[in-house]
Amino acid sequence: MPKIASITDLAALRDRLLSVRSKDAVLITVCGGPGCQATECHNVSAEVRRELDTNGLGEKVRLRVTGCHGFCEQGPIMVIDPANVFYGQVKPADVGEILNRTVIQGEVIDRLLYTDPATKKKVVTEAEIPFYRAQNPTLLSQNRQVDPLSIEDYLAIGGYAGLARVLAGTEPEKVIAEIEASGLRGRGGGGFPTARKWAACRAAHGEEKYVICNADEGDPGAFMDRGILEGNPHAVIEGMLIGAYAIGAEHGYIYVRNEYPIAVVHAREAIRQAMEYGFLGGDILGSGMRFDIDIARGGGAFVCGESTALMASIEGKVGEPRPKDVHTVEHGLWNKPTTLNNVETWANVPSIINNGAAWFSGMGTDSSKGTKILALTGKVRNTGLVEVAFGTTLRTVVEEIGGGASDGKAIKAVQTGGPSGGCLPAYLFDLPVDFDILWEKGSMIGSGGLVVMDEKTCMVDVAKYFLNFLQDESCGKCVPCRIGVDRMLEIVTDITEGRGRPEQIPLLQELGETVAHTALCGLGKTAPNPALSTLRYFSEEYEAHIREASCPAGVCKSLIEYTIDSAHCDGCGACLTSCPQGAIQGEKDRLHTIDREACTKCGICPTVCARNAITVQ
Amino acid sequence: MHQKVTLTIDGANMTVAKGTSVLDAALYYAICIPHLCHLPTLSDIGACRLCIVEHVQNGRSKITASCTLLVQEGMVIRANSERVRTLRRNIAELLVTQAPNSRAIQDIAVRCGVTETRFPFRRDNCVLCGRCVRVCAEHYQARAIGFVGRGKNRRVSYPFAEKPESCVMCRACLNLCPMAVTPCDGPMEEGLEYLCGKCESMTQEPQYSVGDCIRCELGQSFDCTRHR
Amino acid sequence: MSEFLETILEGRKSQPHQLIEVLHDIQQEKGYISRKSGGTISRELGVPLIEVYRVANFYKAFSLEPRGKHIITLCSGTACHVRGANPLLNQAMGLLDVEEGEATEDGLFTVESVHCIGTCALAPVVVLNGVYHPHMTPAKLRALIKKVRRAEEESAHA
Repeated sequence: MPKIASITDLAALRDRLLSVRSKDAVLITVCGGPGCQATECHNVSAEVRRELDTNGLGEKVRLRVTGCHGFCEQGPIMVIDPANVFYGQVKPADVGEILNRTVIQGEVIDRLLYTDPATKKKVVTEAEIPFYRAQNPTLLSQNRQVDPLSIEDYLAIGGYAGLARVLAGTEPEKVIAEIEASGLRGRGGGGFPTARKWAACRAAHGEEKYVICNADEGDPGAFMDRGILEGNPHAVIEGMLIGAYAIGAEHGYIYVRNEYPIAVVHAREAIRQAMEYGFLGGDILGSGMRFDIDIARGGGAFVCGESTALMASIEGKVGEPRPKDVHTVEHGLWNKPTTLNNVETWANVPSIINNGAAWFSGMGTDSSKGTKILALTGKVRNTGLVEVAFGTTLRTVVEEIGGGASDGKAIKAVQTGGPSGGCLPAYLFDLPVDFDILWEKGSMIGSGGLVVMDEKTCMVDVAKYFLNFLQDESCGKCVPCRIGVDRMLEIVTDITEGRGRPEQIPLLQELGETVAHTALCGLGKTAPNPALSTLRYFSEEYEAHIREASCPAGVCKSLIEYTIDSAHCDGCGACLTSCPQGAIQGEKDRLHTIDREACTKCGICPTVCARNAITVQ
Repeated sequence: MHQKVTLTIDGANMTVAKGTSVLDAALYYAICIPHLCHLPTLSDIGACRLCIVEHVQNGRSKITASCTLLVQEGMVIRANSERVRTLRRNIAELLVTQAPNSRAIQDIAVRCGVTETRFPFRRDNCVLCGRCVRVCAEHYQARAIGFVGRGKNRRVSYPFAEKPESCVMCRACLNLCPMAVTPCDGPMEEGLEYLCGKCESMTQEPQYSVGDCIRCELGQSFDCTRHR
Repeated sequence: MSEFLETILEGRKSQPHQLIEVLHDIQQEKGYISRKSGGTISRELGVPLIEVYRVANFYKAFSLEPRGKHIITLCSGTACHVRGANPLLNQAMGLLDVEEGEATEDGLFTVESVHCIGTCALAPVVVLNGVYHPHMTPAKLRALIKKVRRAEEESAHA
């Protein structure tokens, strides 16, 4: 493929691609996103390919494997166009029937259709599914239309047109102005106004500047960036190109965390193709602009999501943050001016340039413009990636999109913002998804992780979980984070193990505030948030643990007992064989009992009991 | 010829060379801001967080470590406000309950106003101030020791846990270690941990008040100007 | 220097910032970073030995001890935690008699937990030798481990 030498050549290529791709041909799209990969969608797509080859249908029917469609709970997902039929939980064994009945004969297969839980009726198209209806998937919808390993797919939907528009003669300052007018704020958690960062970097001294894409996505429970980078890497590359042009950078890095090997593969391939087509390298589209991107891999450290630690990691050092009194836009990677933005931030840039700032700022709230991709997980029925306009309420996300509680227990809270965020109780679910409003309430939208918790989630245990996580991931350099978070964990552990004392509550609060104000980096400064938010909204659970030595949710091991209910036990012995401690005794067909002394409350036996005979008190 | 910068610390105007840290500026003008990991001859890392001050800008104040904050023209710093003292006291409390067996650490705690300890004492024998690592790397270029591990597991160690050839046992590291230089008269016995105050500090004097210089042992080890 | 290291270091000599990539390559091939490799890397890349050690120690991706043949990775992310990751870890540790991060005595398994691998919608997740297992339960995990064990025993007898 010869390089595209000019903007007119690009337009010509796009026209050619569109004319070749007839809208009438049948297109089978199989979702290859992270969730579907785990349910072996590759077996489904391999089976489709095999069938198409053996039946000689390859001419009339195309197969496209795309990135994440968002509805991970229903994976593997298959969509058949032009009818836009949506099939969920497809197995390789279904493929033959799908080709025969749906593709060739135009029939829908009922058992593969999604059932609307409210109406109990089957729905045929994706648009009718409640999960998708309440969303605003301006970015995520691109995933469905492109095979991440095909630059031509991206070009066909208008890819790199934003870059072309910018290179056609828009001054860099104008580009920054457009981003400013759009109101784009960082999507990685900081919510910093993107245009301001770019402007500061542009103004900084030095010829050599860098742009970085932060794909470290360490928040447990978050996989939005993975969905974008694996599913639509070219959107990220195009965004970085536009940013590099605006700032005056000639080199960029995509820093991908070690735990995302597929994202590395897809990003590498996208870069290779972009180079081949002339979107990277020298004299891009004949404009004289030069830009190269390298991939840097993380080594498995949450702290490397922090910008200064990330840059240290690219330099081959340990990921220890440094104080940010000197900004990285002036002295960043190798001490040069550097602009670091999140994957989703970069991916939004081409759409803003193509559709205009007003289109973007028309969505959202006063302070938070555009859309946000959220990773909806936890005790909710519909888990997966969702995209909503800022201003959408938490209730809409949890109930309408999420489909409500998964286990039939009342939803108690959502945890947003990962280890830097907090828990918000159900009575605050009418709050909108918004940077500033959630921050004011003690949480934050963060990178977009949203974990739903129900009655069976102990909020003190949640605080312990996050403190443990942060203590594990702390770099250990500064006293407040290394020792302070550890002491907070010590207190919360005391509370969950029945040793809590009332004076520990104000101490926990004071300690949390100290750490928040004195820690060296963002990890430490936000570390107290989960614990402090649970103190704020769920103090009654702390009280119960301290004053009554009880765990209302039935989670904290030291405060619960497992009992086999004689009314339900049928003596099947499943629990006996599964107990790693050998703490269960009983004869076949007779009531089994648990030896309290030996029981470590590991939690395994209730999961194997078919009669739900094991209760927790 | 150095460029000069004028700033205000605790109401006092001062002029120092550009490139000076706020901590150094304060110390030069005899405003004592407690510190542990800072040494005049080594690079500053901002690890102990004792030297925190309020940096007042645009009507807002931001808490930041003064050793890593460089002076700027017209800067306003509050080194001893109520807020700073409380935070500093809490950090000192964390330090002393973590590693109480050192006169230097105990003196720091007293200097920062710790009067009661609310955490159970632990018996760490390293506060990870990094003086040893830095002197080995910066003065002697030996790099025989370094920080290894993350979070709670962070420790000072030889490479691959073997003493390298570059270590010639010069003892520069030990001479600067706040735990080694000013050891307690004896390790605290289990159950007998407390802020004993036996370190002959000025806190025994009746006129002492929080914030005063107590002529701590730690100051002796780096030739603090107040000792002369 | 071994041929293996020679290949990995090609084009990277005297470039200290390549340290992490080099360690990745060695870890992938050898399963751990030995003292000897550390020395070679230090010399060829121009990185002080203490730095090589620091980096190898800091990042979870690198191991300084040989690991088990089969790596069982349990995700301990928030979604997995809320949906029952703890019993899974207990099951694995109990069944194989190891602590987290350790290898079994027969060198067959290493049990490790990772803070989120990005498939949160299918919590709780266990990864065995790169294959993802969604919606795991203690019973399924037990069965999985037994299956691997049996396969090992069969090939040992063959």
